[in-house]
Amino acid sequence: MPEQISIFELVANASLLVQLVMALLALASIVSWMMIFQRWFFLRRVANEVNHFEDHFWSGVDLRELYAELEGQDDLTGIETVFVAGFQEFVRLSDQAGAEVDSIMQGVQRGMRVALNREEERLATHLAFLATVGSTSPYVGLFGTVWGIMNSFRSLANMSQATLASVAPGISEALVATAMGLFAAIPAVIGYNRFSAQVEELMKRNEAFSDEVTSILHRAAQARSS
Amino acid sequence: MADALRSYSGPLLLALLVHLAALTALHGGWFPGVEPESRAIKPNLVQSQLIVMQPKAPPKPKPKPAPKPAAEAPKVAEPEPKAQPEPRRNREAERQRKLAEQALEDQRRRLAELAQNSFAQALAEEASELAADQDLSAAQSFRFGIYQRVVANWSRPPSARNGMQARLLVELIPTGAVVGVTVVESSGNSAFDRSAEAAVRKARAFDVPREPDLFERHFRRFSLLFKPEDLLR
Repeated sequence: MPEQISIFELVANASLLVQLVMALLALASIVSWMMIFQRWFFLRRVANEVNHFEDHFWSGVDLRELYAELEGQDDLTGIETVFVAGFQEFVRLSDQAGAEVDSIMQGVQRGMRVALNREEERLATHLAFLATVGSTSPYVGLFGTVWGIMNSFRSLANMSQATLASVAPGISEALVATAMGLFAAIPAVIGYNRFSAQVEELMKRNEAFSDEVTSILHRAAQARSS
Repeated sequence: MADALRSYSGPLLLALLVHLAALTALHGGWFPGVEPESRAIKPNLVQSQLIVMQPKAPPKPKPKPAPKPAAEAPKVAEPEPKAQPEPRRNREAERQRKLAEQALEDQRRRLAELAQNSFAQALAEEASELAADQDLSAAQSFRFGIYQRVVANWSRPPSARNGMQARLLVELIPTGAVVGVTVVESSGNSAFDRSAEAAVRKARAFDVPREPDLFERHFRRFSLLFKPEDLLR
């Protein structure tokens, strides 16, 4: 093997369109890795918060006290907002004279559903981006490769002596685009699958928690009305 | 806004780190093809340096004793200021030390020069080898073109049998035109020899490299080996 062309030389010698494709893929890869790390830290923190709050909630604390304590705070965590939204609705409706148990409970459920939806949105931000990168960047890379190979074969037509050495660099250069596309896509797909599973699990826990809060408040409302 | 910036700057840094690591892995010979090249250079340099060092070994002991007196001299010099009456010896020691230092310096410079020369030589050798390799692959492609032309023009006589072979010496001029064809090694079958000769003559001219150097080396005169099996493929 007399000489080996380095990958960097290949990239530097590639045609403009292929270079653009590579730049796009590099950017997509960097941003998707950034999202992966951000989501990773964020979801881990949220899971910790949920654990912490559930422990606190089931430790036998008085719900009114907990509500008063949380209401004063500015930065509520996701599961705390769910609880506060439900309890706020309960307090407001049950303060009105002649409120039915059913209408109180409907209000509580509505308030918590809104908070849950907001929380799901917050958890799932950027996941759409990861999914897009994961599904499209192989195609973008393939596009660069096809374009590069097309050009290298076209220039081959002008040569009188067609050897492997005259096509090989062009093809190798074009294949770098596919490699980059896969490099960007694989972590994005893995990240997307992992994080969407995590979000789903967290949302299930949040929903279960909101159901539990609903049943507790239902009992309280019935006790008050009777 | 600042909050968002803070929550993304860490991940961004990590993401950049991941890509940097990937790039260095690419650059630092992840590919098996990159390593043999550096390996091919290294032995050359090591060998040439070793050869240089061997003749240099005998004079080496000289500088070694030299620094020792130099090292001792300051020891002598230290008590000297106390016993001031002997400044002459002090000066003598100083001079000797300077001489020794100069000798050492010379030695070192010569060694460095030699090492550099051998390094440059090794580099030049390496470059010429690389160039030769490139020439060879270029010549190979032209040779393949000649082969194709000859095969296209060759009509095998019916009397040709497997196992026959005729070697022809072909002479070209730099335009690629054939100026001479002689049978160097006959196949024993004159019809076969003639058909081979006719194939080259019918081709009249071949594509040859423009570089005069490459042409002189590989295409001014070259031999062609004709075997009837070649056509049966």
